[in-house]
Amino acid sequence: MAMGVLVVGSIGDIGLVGLAQRFRGQDVHYLLTGQGDVVQLGRYGVSRVYQLTTGIDEYSFSETLTDLVNRGSYSIIITPVNRFYRTAVPMAAQRLSAPLLTDVIDVKPIDNELEVVLNSFGNRAQVTVKVTGRVLLMAPPARFKPSENPVNASIEPLQPRVVNVVKVVSTEGKAKGGVRIEDAELIVAVGRGFRRREDLKLAFELAEVLGAEVGCSRPIAADLKWLSEDHWIGLSGRRVRPRLYIAIGISGQPQHLAGMMESRTVVVINNDPNAPFFRNCDYGVVEDLYSFIPVLTRRLRDILKR
Amino acid sequence: MDVVVLVKLALDTGQLRVSEGKVDVESTPLKVSDIDRNAVEEAVRVRERVGGLVHVVSILKYGPIQRRLQEAEGLLREVLAMGADDAYLVADEALIGSDQSVTAKVIASIIRRLGKYDLVIAGEATVDGYTGQVGPRVAAELGIPVVTYVRELRIEGSRVVAKRDLEDAVQTVETPLPALVTVTREINTPRIPTLLQIRAAVRKPIGKLTLADLGLTLKPTIKVESAVPMQVKRRGVVIREGTVDEKADRLVQALIQEGLLTPR
Ligand SMILES: Cc1cc2nc3c(=O)[nH]c(=O)nc-3n(C[C@H](O)[C@H](O)[C@H](O)COP(=O)(O)OP(=O)(O)OC[C@H]3O[C@@H](n4cnc5c(N)ncnc54)[C@H](O)[C@@H]3O)c2cc1C
Repeated sequence: MAMGVLVVGSIGDIGLVGLAQRFRGQDVHYLLTGQGDVVQLGRYGVSRVYQLTTGIDEYSFSETLTDLVNRGSYSIIITPVNRFYRTAVPMAAQRLSAPLLTDVIDVKPIDNELEVVLNSFGNRAQVTVKVTGRVLLMAPPARFKPSENPVNASIEPLQPRVVNVVKVVSTEGKAKGGVRIEDAELIVAVGRGFRRREDLKLAFELAEVLGAEVGCSRPIAADLKWLSEDHWIGLSGRRVRPRLYIAIGISGQPQHLAGMMESRTVVVINNDPNAPFFRNCDYGVVEDLYSFIPVLTRRLRDILKR
Repeated sequence: MDVVVLVKLALDTGQLRVSEGKVDVESTPLKVSDIDRNAVEEAVRVRERVGGLVHVVSILKYGPIQRRLQEAEGLLREVLAMGADDAYLVADEALIGSDQSVTAKVIASIIRRLGKYDLVIAGEATVDGYTGQVGPRVAAELGIPVVTYVRELRIEGSRVVAKRDLEDAVQTVETPLPALVTVTREINTPRIPTLLQIRAAVRKPIGKLTLADLGLTLKPTIKVESAVPMQVKRRGVVIREGTVDEKADRLVQALIQEGLLTPR
């Protein structure tokens, strides 16, 4: 089938071109949001860039995207994952009467069909889906690496279709932790077993000795707001794959496990011997974190001489 | 004020059944998708404040239909017990494994048939697919505004005012009714129905519908070929006995043996 591929995102989402390249022999175009080096896109084989420099809301974005897909007759549309796209892209998909597959791992075009492999069932399974016709794919850009294939990219400014249905009254910035937990090699993750925000100090000290980053369960970021959202690991947070994952005071619900399943070695510290996390760990310690963590940190400081 | 709540009967991913290396969807139990309980709770609270009705709409996505019908009805009784007034369940072979564009068309068709509605509430995403598509898709299908990731909701006359939890900001927005909102887990704590409410829910109506009843014929756009469970083998060494010092020593030794720590 004739397929044009449209990648959507900022210049930082260029990894998605790697997924687009798996549709061999297809033109790859890019809806670039914000500023970015068009030459860099051309280096990876993007032949046309539509640049959208004004920030617009999800509703307007979905209209703008729908128009562009219709105008360019794209059959494959690839987008990054965040709450903006999770809102705008399904609306566009509905207007296009097309499926949207999320958390995509791989694609294989076979004749007139497309086979898509994705994580689903709460990240508990890899699902293979066959699609005929137009489809939208959503995936974390960091999962793919585009290869070089230089072309001259043309650029066209994109006029958004602005629809004012939802009025923004105010915006209050959230603190950013400045971590990229998805890249961390070593992670100390904290959960509701910590009774007070100040007590997280115990985990930060342990992390410092190990040279690890601190991650957390959803309630610590979303409910209690003790840590910023970039620390949040799980189904609705970040997916991590460190060499060592130390979970402290986290019960191990499936939605948390969904984010850390690919960790190599998993250590669980919990005072409840029946915590489900103990069934998903390499090493577990049944102990009160308040007495255990300071001792562990001291032992590690001794042997690592830090 | 009439509120429609979208409730998914999701696969209980904590209890995925596996046979011959594949996920056995048909034998995996269903549950009310967690965040949809928050949606029901919020809908009931809106009604408690301003009056009206709460309708539940649910599309059965997992077969086999005959066996699932009873399971589905039992689950819908749980949300009726939380205070919803009635429920609509669409069960049809053509919807098993269908993609969300189809789900959204069916939901929109039921909502239109209800005639009067002011607000549609869904969860931010379901616990099984976690795609979060259906809310925004239904809004697009109905041509009404959508506000996602809501953690605080107020109705002010004929408008909704909502606080949205975004990655890097909390945004306060307002939009006219009718509108669709999706709520986060943090918006409220879903109530546990009393025995009396559970009994009363048995008499509440559940309308069972097929696509023919809705006058819809829909073409499938995707086909699920296989679902392979991700199984990770873990050592499962749990240190239960000893003093705190002994436990720390044993853990440190294990990490050294794994090559994760190098003593200096
Ligand atoms: C759709 C959906 C998406 C979700 N997404 C995510 C997600 O992305 N990430 C996520 O984490 N969760 C997610 N959740 C929530 C998840 O289901 C759990 O509610 C959450 O992970 C629980 O966090 P927790 O383990 O920190 O808290 P709890 O479950 O309350 O566990 C606290 C643990 O600490 C232990 N503890 C208490 N005191 C001590 C002590 N002194 N010493 C040692 N241990 C102690 C307890 O024994 C308990 O096991 C999601 C839920 C849904 C429905």
